[in-house]
Amino acid sequence: MPRMLSDVYWIFWREMRRFARQKSRIAVSIVQPVVWLVLMGSNMAGLTRNPIGAKMLGTSSYLTFMTPGIMVMTALFGGVFGGTSVIWDRRLGILNKMLAAPISRASVPLGKLLAMMVQNWVQVVMILLIAVIMGVRIATGLGGVLFLVLMASLFGMIMGSISLSLAARLKSIETLFAITNFLTMPLMFTSSAIFPIRAMPPWLQAIARVNPLSYAVTPMRTVATQGWLWGQIWPGALMTAALAIVAVLFTIRQFQRGVV
Amino acid sequence: MTNMIEVRDLRKVFPNGVKAVDGVTVSVSEGEIFGLLGPNGAGKSTTIGVLTTLLLPTGGTASVAGVDVVRRPNAARLAIGYVSQDLAVDDSLTGLENLRLQAGIYHLSPDETRQRIAEVLEMVELTDRARDLVDTYSGGMRKRLDIACGLIHRPRVLFLDEPTLGLDIQTRRQIWQYVNRLRSEINMTIFLTTHYMDEADALCDRIAIIDHGHIKAMDTPSALKETLGGASVEFEFSQGSTQDIAGAIAILRPRPFVREIHEMGEQRYRAVVTNGEAAVPSIFDALSDRPVKIGAVSFKQPSLDDVFLHYTGRELRETGGEDAMRSRIMMRRMRS
Repeated sequence: MPRMLSDVYWIFWREMRRFARQKSRIAVSIVQPVVWLVLMGSNMAGLTRNPIGAKMLGTSSYLTFMTPGIMVMTALFGGVFGGTSVIWDRRLGILNKMLAAPISRASVPLGKLLAMMVQNWVQVVMILLIAVIMGVRIATGLGGVLFLVLMASLFGMIMGSISLSLAARLKSIETLFAITNFLTMPLMFTSSAIFPIRAMPPWLQAIARVNPLSYAVTPMRTVATQGWLWGQIWPGALMTAALAIVAVLFTIRQFQRGVV
Repeated sequence: MTNMIEVRDLRKVFPNGVKAVDGVTVSVSEGEIFGLLGPNGAGKSTTIGVLTTLLLPTGGTASVAGVDVVRRPNAARLAIGYVSQDLAVDDSLTGLENLRLQAGIYHLSPDETRQRIAEVLEMVELTDRARDLVDTYSGGMRKRLDIACGLIHRPRVLFLDEPTLGLDIQTRRQIWQYVNRLRSEINMTIFLTTHYMDEADALCDRIAIIDHGHIKAMDTPSALKETLGGASVEFEFSQGSTQDIAGAIAILRPRPFVREIHEMGEQRYRAVVTNGEAAVPSIFDALSDRPVKIGAVSFKQPSLDDVFLHYTGRELRETGGEDAMRSRIMMRRMRS
């Protein structure tokens, strides 16, 4: 076990070193959510001036409504691209070099997921900071902020695991992107990340309610806009945590079976 | 002497039906430099893949340092160093960081890590550039760093897959030096694949020629050349009638240093000889009182190329290395 932890640490260490050097990647990953916040926030501001709209959103500030959604979407994109590093490592021979070493097979996806999570924290904390500067107030304070970060990380784990599992089998980045794009867009637009469920037509509401993205967003939104209403929090939170555990275990299994 | 590599009747059939390795049996003793020589697609990399635990064989057995690579892969991994043909170093890390990562995944202690990194860096002459990003390294420097990575845990057996593919002459010589030093200083066993004849000739104690997944011949480079019947002298008569020339050949044929004589063309002959370069004056001496004159003569040692041609019926193509290296570096640029 200590050996495996050390292997995970080294994989994580490498990913973080790479991340720290990719200044443009860090910049884009922060600028992108800011653009979302500013554009969507000001476009949709009209909604909340309308009392019916405000009721649908459950808050008088669309930005507050949007902030959890953007945090989850950032985790989603971060996770979905996670598999590319495995495909590159395979193409460059780095994966084989690691697998010819006595390294625990599970540590490869675990180290990468851990790095993805920490990188995701950097991003969501930046989003929260910018949101607060723009006037967003999280109803539950610092505890709520930690909860939001945790939920976004769990959702990022799910998407990261899917991406890594695919990368364990796929040879080309293009195929990986084709599959993940096919997943992300419908996932985003059939969820409550951007639009309130109550504003959707009934058939879309039915889809949105079982969408894993909604499971993650709903408790986050409750915590951000209303408070610790546990009845609304725990179903989504538990579901997200359970999905994350299953997804991570599945990915480990894919790598243990051999990725060459 | 113990055998560090023991391969028996190794077979590997890929899911698409390709028989990459088809009944290979090889033993390599400790401290030996062994070369697997063959064209692209002959089964060299597949053989190394099985021996380095990256591929599971379809049949047969393989062990390294006395450890079965299929049954106890992790124990085998500790005993081997593997340097692929891919330049598998991370461009976005420094040379030092690449080595630190490698030491980490082999579970070296911090003290060992410091000491070994200094050692291998010095060996591949990269100490001065260790703190630079690999992105700024030349192809040869990357290769040297990759070799350093493969040595960090002091493996008993080092696998080098096409170690000098696409490298310039100077770097190739350097790498040959490292390989020779590893053997002479710490008696490391080295198993390499190559499709460069001069490399196999200069470096290897023994060579196996592999083609279509079969080993066609296996011996020392000089013994392999011997099987072709030694050196040959080609000569061309510039004076003398057909009869005189036939008489001259009749005199040469029974001489003890001549193994056989073939007619190569009009007035041109080739003699396979047993006394090396001394055969040239011997031929002139034997014909000094005959009414013929030799106008042109050439002496040829058998090369491994001839050996390869003899066993596979094909010439070994040597091109493509530089392109492979260039495309590898190009691919890396795309990533960042």
